[in-house]
Amino acid sequence: MSEHQLRVDWPACKGHGLCAELLPEVISLDEWGYPIVHEPVKGEVLAMARRAVKACPTLALRLTLPA
Amino acid sequence: MTAVATACPPAVRQGGGPVPVVSEGPALLAGIAQGPGLAAHLNRLGPAPRPSLGALVDMARDVDLRGRGGAGFPFATKLSAAARRRAVVVVNASEGEPGSHKDAALISCAPHVVLDGAAAVARALRTQEVHIVVSSEHPSLRRVVEKALRERVTAGECLDLRLHDAAPRFVAGQAQAVLQLLAGRENLPVTAWQPEAVSGHRGRPTLLSNAETFAQIGHLVRVGSAGYAAHGTAGEPGTTLVTLRGDGWAPEVREVAHGTPLADLLDEAETSRPLLLGGYHGTWLRPAQLRGMTVSRSAIAAAGATLGAGVMLPLAQGRCPLVRTAELVEYLAGQSARRCGPCLNGLPAMAEAVRALVHGEGSVRRVEELCGLVVRRGACAHPDGTARLVASMMQRFPAEVQAHSVGTCRRGREVSG
Repeated sequence: MSEHQLRVDWPACKGHGLCAELLPEVISLDEWGYPIVHEPVKGEVLAMARRAVKACPTLALRLTLPA
Repeated sequence: MTAVATACPPAVRQGGGPVPVVSEGPALLAGIAQGPGLAAHLNRLGPAPRPSLGALVDMARDVDLRGRGGAGFPFATKLSAAARRRAVVVVNASEGEPGSHKDAALISCAPHVVLDGAAAVARALRTQEVHIVVSSEHPSLRRVVEKALRERVTAGECLDLRLHDAAPRFVAGQAQAVLQLLAGRENLPVTAWQPEAVSGHRGRPTLLSNAETFAQIGHLVRVGSAGYAAHGTAGEPGTTLVTLRGDGWAPEVREVAHGTPLADLLDEAETSRPLLLGGYHGTWLRPAQLRGMTVSRSAIAAAGATLGAGVMLPLAQGRCPLVRTAELVEYLAGQSARRCGPCLNGLPAMAEAVRALVHGEGSVRRVEELCGLVVRRGACAHPDGTARLVASMMQRFPAEVQAHSVGTCRRGREVSG
């Protein structure tokens, strides 16, 4: 199964922090409240990652497949 | 040094900085003393060939032509990627870096060399649409380019040539920011989900390259790969443009063959001081690293730096590299587009942390932590470049960092205030 990358649209991200709430396995927040993506998404985390992408209030989170 | 073209560039810098001296060069800047007109250009060189896509890709690959905007991406790869239906060509001469004047010099002294390259690329991609982006920092530059475009149209050029003014700010020349400008939006970087060669201007395949890259193509199509290799080294054929002291006294633009010793460009006093190579997003080098150094990607990479867009900024006499870096980080923090959180927050924090370090109140760990926090976390590479500058300061000047931590400056001046 292929690994997905979580990518942040930085100008769109306003640091609401929902992604880190929904996906603490992969995302933490920096000292200003912006997401730090720690690793690619795979396996059972993928479904939760999709949920985090959908939940982002500014639609700033995307799942991409490596080129 | 070769003859100095006193007429060039006509562009007066806004804000009244000294106008760089542009010297005649071996290839792109040959014959600039005859002026930037099309008649003189054609008289000297004749019409430029417009090879097929395959031939142009082969030539660019033969001479290992790299993009001259700073990243050094192989041009042949980019050209192949953009070779699809309804391609667009973008000549980027926006040059937001205060230490760089090579694109302004090139496009004001030799606009038709750049446009020959753009025309050859457009022909290879079977498109007529060519956008030219110049910095609005040089109001007279626009007039020179307009005149050059009119001359070509009068001479029967069938390209659709469009001129744009980039905002006079550091990040305005970044590829995605340029595409925003072309689309009529604010001239600021946005997230690139795909390379612009795949999906660029209005989603079309876009060959966006630095003005010098197009000039290199303009020269290459005339002389062929063998003629191109008449200058430079076996591993790195051809020439490159450099800006010397671009943000300070006596700025100068030179075209030099790859392999030229640094000692031919800077005097002994300058090479005995630290050098900031690659501009404000560049890397500090110590004087010992400059000895025997040549203008060559491989030699510069071996020293842990990159040539970038050819900016060379020797530290002014009597100045401390830490104090200078602190000033630059402050400037760069102010140049943030203020749209990406890590840059908006991280660069001012970094400026503060570096300033504290200089004043003996900071912590190396805090500076390193901030460098880590901004890298690859923005729409453009502005935070990455700023972190690179700061990291190189920490790496090259550990003794000075140590001295500042106890309140002294090894440049002989007490740090105060």
